[in-house]
Amino acid sequence: MIAFLRFEIMRALRNVRFLVMLIAFPVLLYLIYAKQHGMSQGLTVATLLLVSMAVYSGMGSAMFASGPQLARERSNGWMRQLRISPISTPGWFAAKLIQAILLIIPGLAVLIALALTYGHVHLAAGRLALLVAVLVLGAIPFCALGLVIGLMFDSQTAQVAQMITLLVLAFLGGIFIQWSSLPHGMQLIGKALPSYHLAQLGWNAAAGRALGLTNVAVLAAWTAGLGLIAARRWRSESAAA
Amino acid sequence: MLGLRAPTSGQVRVLGVSPADAAAAGKIGGMIQTGGLPEGAKVSELIGLFRQLYRGRRSQADLLGLAGLTDLADRRVEQLSGGQTQRVRFALALAGRPELLFLDEPTAALDVEARRGFWHSVRTVAGQGTTVLFATHYLDEADANASRIIVVSRGRVLADGTPAQIKAYTSVRTIRFSTPAADTSVLLGLPGVSGVSADGDAVTIRSGDADATLPALYALARPVRGLEVGGGGLEEALLTLTSDDDGRTDGLDGPDGPPAPYGPSGPYSSPGPYSSPGPYSSPAPYSSPNPYSSSAPYASSGPSGLSYSSLPSSISSPSPTAKAG
Repeated sequence: MIAFLRFEIMRALRNVRFLVMLIAFPVLLYLIYAKQHGMSQGLTVATLLLVSMAVYSGMGSAMFASGPQLARERSNGWMRQLRISPISTPGWFAAKLIQAILLIIPGLAVLIALALTYGHVHLAAGRLALLVAVLVLGAIPFCALGLVIGLMFDSQTAQVAQMITLLVLAFLGGIFIQWSSLPHGMQLIGKALPSYHLAQLGWNAAAGRALGLTNVAVLAAWTAGLGLIAARRWRSESAAA
Repeated sequence: MLGLRAPTSGQVRVLGVSPADAAAAGKIGGMIQTGGLPEGAKVSELIGLFRQLYRGRRSQADLLGLAGLTDLADRRVEQLSGGQTQRVRFALALAGRPELLFLDEPTAALDVEARRGFWHSVRTVAGQGTTVLFATHYLDEADANASRIIVVSRGRVLADGTPAQIKAYTSVRTIRFSTPAADTSVLLGLPGVSGVSADGDAVTIRSGDADATLPALYALARPVRGLEVGGGGLEEALLTLTSDDDGRTDGLDGPDGPPAPYGPSGPYSSPGPYSSPGPYSSPAPYSSPNPYSSSAPYASSGPSGLSYSSLPSSISSPSPTAKAG
């Protein structure tokens, strides 16, 4: 599995264009908005936005690391070749998960560096470490989501499905616009999404507040549910392929 | 048999274990028909990955050499041609030094030269004790490389035997002889004859039943000299076998047809595809003493429903290269 993981990371890193695209958008947004003054949720705009963009970048990286590529490799037959290799299914899932988590790190690092310099964000080392931990672990449900999309859509539609899902998560989860400014119905939907809860955890970590157990529980539930769907899709595909 | 498709009923055992276990242990290797490669990887990395997955059972140089990829090791897989991609997949299938190697239409994208190199490598691997089973639509490949051919049409095994035995399935024979002033209309009237051509004294008759044609020919009481009976080619045999399931094909299994290498009970009647000792004793073209074991995995591998498979060495027989289970 470690050999497989190294192989997967190697070829992901080689895909420079893909990595730049993953990072560019949140970085650009940060550059545009971080200079605004004001406070919200007990955080400066620069800090608030750091968390928002880091959550967005993490979601995007985790989903794109798994979804479209999986859809492509399902359709071109590579997954069939892997199925008759000694790689076990749990080993494959674990490698994909770790790969997705590792792939969010470049975006996270760039955003934090920008925040500390350009944004003049001051975060105690402890809070920063907690924030990074929250963002990295919080990527897990989105990796599972990417896998589900990669298993449910074909190579043509997976990219679009992924993009739409990501935007819904970002808007309704209160990452691009304040959740409280959403219409009531959308607020209810947004509050059920994992993006909302990850952002809450991130903001609380940055502000030094206690992390909400509900937030953690909802994210865990999403992970479990999506993981179950992915495993089921995987099995039914094995039987039908 | 690779475990890619779950059986609707019953179970599949390969080398004594389930296909999944056989794959996990590296006992089987497969080159499937539609096998893309993961983008962003180099040939050497991909082969290196599979070497590691199989704990280095074959060296990198060995794999690159067998698949003819030595010059392409640093190439990214998305830059490879169809034939080159196919060779990479061949290398991956070999990485585990499998006891049983499945090749599904392995030469479809290869040019003539690559094809020759490919079969050379297959023979090398077979010589090292790997049983190779391939499906192909190129009849000459099956004829030249297989020690055993299984013909499958619409999910049924139609024939099973050496290339020579398969060719014997066709009842069409070419009878050549010379006779002065042949009357083609008389010859056409002989039993079994489907075509007559005469060029001076030289006469060629195509007959669906040479056993009936020949006595009748001699009964004409005219001088017949230099008589030759030629067998039909493999292609003719397969056309005969797959043309339909009534009439001719059934006749071949009956008392009037040429001796069938297998009785009505094909390999599927045995408890497991690999459990029965090979029933043949004819010499094998390859190094292993007993070239046969039974199975016909690709029931519908292609548009025409034809499939041939080859097992250059055996795993079911008590031969030195055999590894039971």
